Amino acid sequence: MHGKSRAIPKVPTQITGLDEILEGGLPQGRTSLACGGPGSGKTVLGLEFLCRGAMAGDPGVFVTFEERAEAVRMNAMSMGWDLAALEKARKIAIVEARLSGDEVLSGDFDIQGLLTIVGGHATRIRARRVVMDALDVLLRVYGDLQRERNELSRLHNWLIDRGLTSVLSVKSHRDGGDGSQYEFLDFMADCVIRLDHRVLGQVATRRLRVIKYRGSGFGTNEYPYVISERGIVLFPLTHSELTHKPLGAKISSGLAGLDAMLEGGFRRSSCILIAGSSGTGKTTLACAYIRAACRRGEKVLCLNFEESKEALISGMLSAGIDLRPSVRARKLLVQTSLPESMGSDGHLIRAMEAIDSFKPDHLILDAMSACTRMGSEQAAFDYLMRLVAVVKERGITCIMTNQSLAGNYEELSGIGFSSVVDAVIQLRFVDAGQEIGRQILVIKSRGSAHSNRREPFYITDQGIEFPNNLRPPSARAGTANSKDGGI
Amino acid sequence: MSKSLQTKHRATKEQRGHYLLRLFMAGNGLNSQKALANLRNLCEEHLNGHCTIETVDVVKDFQAAVRDNILVTPALILVSPRPRVMILGNLSDSPKVLAALRLSGRKS
Repeated sequence: MHGKSRAIPKVPTQITGLDEILEGGLPQGRTSLACGGPGSGKTVLGLEFLCRGAMAGDPGVFVTFEERAEAVRMNAMSMGWDLAALEKARKIAIVEARLSGDEVLSGDFDIQGLLTIVGGHATRIRARRVVMDALDVLLRVYGDLQRERNELSRLHNWLIDRGLTSVLSVKSHRDGGDGSQYEFLDFMADCVIRLDHRVLGQVATRRLRVIKYRGSGFGTNEYPYVISERGIVLFPLTHSELTHKPLGAKISSGLAGLDAMLEGGFRRSSCILIAGSSGTGKTTLACAYIRAACRRGEKVLCLNFEESKEALISGMLSAGIDLRPSVRARKLLVQTSLPESMGSDGHLIRAMEAIDSFKPDHLILDAMSACTRMGSEQAAFDYLMRLVAVVKERGITCIMTNQSLAGNYEELSGIGFSSVVDAVIQLRFVDAGQEIGRQILVIKSRGSAHSNRREPFYITDQGIEFPNNLRPPSARAGTANSKDGGI
Repeated sequence: MSKSLQTKHRATKEQRGHYLLRLFMAGNGLNSQKALANLRNLCEEHLNGHCTIETVDVVKDFQAAVRDNILVTPALILVSPRPRVMILGNLSDSPKVLAALRLSGRKS
């Protein structure tokens, strides 16, 4: 029943992530509604839709009922869209449709004048898109819901008659009702998008939700978005089916002893968790992995929330791991930031931009436990889940460190995370009489046999050393392989 | 009492001036026709014909609508005497229109 023949034609917005939620874009030749409170980004959404279209050769008219045209141009410029140039190229026309407020009203009137102006510009530049920003401001002149309704109906019909793909933005209820303040507009429009700006755990967060889409499916969740210097950026996890890449061949962990415990190493494209209390050597273990990957000529992106790049590199020198050649060869990119510096959405954008531009084969995140400082446990969870989803989709191998105090598995796997984690390595201190020793244990290694023994290890100025001459467990007599880590 | 006298006085003065009124219409729309009829009556009754009515059909001339920022029709602009006034609607509420055109208090 829902074959391709019935699919409605759509116009891609080219807004990062939005087309996935809209399953292709906005309905072509129909009216869409963007509603939201002040500062929610309604104007940016409309502006971006128009600018991206215009830059791709699809002209459009921007009608502003509230802001001056010059303010709109400046707003666009701050996101890198040169409206003045696009206007000159006849790709965009801006209509400043502001009533001065001192007009005298006497008797019935309609918005034919506005339609004429918009229509004139649309014809002049051969526009196929129209964005009407802050439509509610114009409607206020009626002061009568029935008349507003008639005029909206007239506007709606006019837009559709002309085959214009349009976005109307209106303010939504302050108390966060679902649609716009003009309920009938929600019914009229073919697609209704709600933008929400709220504060969670002292961090401003924005959420987008599609309320309806006539004749089309759409992602029904609330999606976090940010307004960045390149416009609106969304991170939809829209796919109901997991599109994760299957685990790949074994790759070295960078340590012969650990490779032996893992029967050859980690699986490529897996998500590996290194857990342990502070000082047990989580970061050192991760850096041994980084060095090995870089030596193979592969690229590693390291997201560090604990220390600066310089501190990390000089700290590793004392443990016999020199990362400087990897940095010089541009095989290792270290991106550091304070978790508190922005919300989890901001951190995600930053990570995504680095992944997009650097295209790493491996991602190291040090440390998961610091992510709760992005606002809340939920924020950290959102950040990590979305990051892991992206990483898994692209087949990037990922190592995350997590500081945990006790040894219980729930805590080790970190905030309800165990299903996406393919391998878990636990590090711990052991009291060995006169000294404190360290032990390493493979708790889980999905899709691979592994040792189930705790092995001692040392961190020396030559790197990590395993005193026992480790061989893969399968080569060892008397040790049953366990596929799913019995401890 | 003195207020109404003052108003009368000013109205008498303005009567000497000539009124230039520009009416923006949208084709043959009902409201546009009503506005034109109302405006013609008003000119005869209150200005003794001392006025010029310019009509602009925005459907034919969208640039004119752009120039004067005409978003709704019908719309009337009092071009002169200054200050300029804009009245939106079919002008059916004549006391309001007269007040806006500073013609209140004139005998009809």
